[in-house]
Amino acid sequence: MANLPRKLELFYDVLSPYSWLGFELLCRYQNIWNINLQLRPSFIPGILKDSGNKPPALVPRKGKYMMMDLQHLKNFYQVPIRIPKDFLTVILEKGSLNAMRFLTAVNMEKPEMLENVSRELWMRIWSRDEDITEPQSILAAAEKAGLSKEQAKSLLENSSTDKVKNKLKETTSAACNYGAFGLPTIVVHMDNKPCVIFGSDRMEMLAYLLALQFLGRLCKTDLLAPVSTRRSQI
Amino acid sequence: MSCLPRKLELFYDLLCPYSWLGFEILCRYQNIWNISLQLRPSFLAAIIMDSDMEEYREKVGGDQRIQVPTKGIYGFNSYLEKLRKQEYMKNELQYLGKFCQVPIEIPRDLRGVLIDKGSLNAMRFLTSVHIEYPEMLEKVSRELWMRIWSRDEDITEPWSIQAAAEEAGFSRKQAMSLLKKSSTEEVKNKLRENTNTAYKYGAFGLPTIVAHMDTKPCVFFSSDRIELLAHLLGEQWQGPVPQALKGKL
Repeated sequence: MANLPRKLELFYDVLSPYSWLGFELLCRYQNIWNINLQLRPSFIPGILKDSGNKPPALVPRKGKYMMMDLQHLKNFYQVPIRIPKDFLTVILEKGSLNAMRFLTAVNMEKPEMLENVSRELWMRIWSRDEDITEPQSILAAAEKAGLSKEQAKSLLENSSTDKVKNKLKETTSAACNYGAFGLPTIVVHMDNKPCVIFGSDRMEMLAYLLALQFLGRLCKTDLLAPVSTRRSQI
Repeated sequence: MSCLPRKLELFYDLLCPYSWLGFEILCRYQNIWNISLQLRPSFLAAIIMDSDMEEYREKVGGDQRIQVPTKGIYGFNSYLEKLRKQEYMKNELQYLGKFCQVPIEIPRDLRGVLIDKGSLNAMRFLTSVHIEYPEMLEKVSRELWMRIWSRDEDITEPWSIQAAAEEAGFSRKQAMSLLKKSSTEEVKNKLRENTNTAYKYGAFGLPTIVAHMDTKPCVFFSSDRIELLAHLLGEQWQGPVPQALKGKL
């Protein structure tokens, strides 16, 4: 008897490079594992404010460590991360509000495009050190992802409506209600209670807890074995 | 031609459950990978305080976009007062404990254990063991972790530390002698020295792992970069419980 797919919510913000890693890892597994991956564009400053946390980059040692960590992880996970030249300006001054509102609009109108558009925005900010705040930047990412010029413009217009702004606030609040203090935050919907995981480095643990087969960080399907009879640990 | 074992330093504090996870995983691999694991008992509160002070100093007169912390400079206190992180940690440790097969149980009075009681005496004791009986450091560290992070028992009083030492295999006489040595300047200085070494490597928390590679040391924070470390060392990662040990835990 086939089990219903397990619902997994990924709360993310394109401002967060670790969100990109978590996103790519889960996207690799969404057709291998019996999961229903739901992408939840959120706003990281909202989460930090609500939880009283602060971005690691603002602590000098953590910032330095993060730069080094990302250099290792980009090779390890094969995600083409490159640190923006003026990293603090990108994170603190430019931010991602317009981009996240745009992704919220995409999620509402064309959810099947959300993965591609998110990825193109990440490629801009976290791989090619390009802007993601101006309308033309967002439109360029949308078209590269496969949306037509008209569709992209229409979604951009929708981004500034109260409906979309409220939806982004709502999604961010939902993450906070699950206990998020940063992003990425993954929420796995179990039978008894949701299992909340912070960060992009818990995939192997997640696989173990859900009795799913872990095929490594690159999801090598040649390692696929017969379905395990091991039961979920949570 | 066999390579010399790669030196891996593990800076840890008993107060930190993630240190225990990193410790157990590396201990499991020390006879599987070509590494020389060197345990470095350190003092977490000092590292956190120093990083917070450094942050405070850099911000005053530094980049004005960055806000000066208002919650006081004892960063450890303000860190744990972030209840949300504390709540998250309580849940996550249960999952990690199962995954890594380390019997972690959250102490009832978490704040009391972490803030009011701390680990200074125990870390001085481990430093004393490190100087006199380095071959016993792994066992005694484990017994102290079992007390604080598995059985919710004290690790601050002399008889608590003595009990852990005896459980690890020391005689009462040896344990008492090591306890006496813990309060000497030699041991206090050695603990400071280990802690400063971690700090000089860029540590802002524990566990901090330093892998001495050919070109330069590679520094990793927390217990979730060991797979990456394996990759960089050219070793095979078999999860937190490698095959050779399955069934023995």
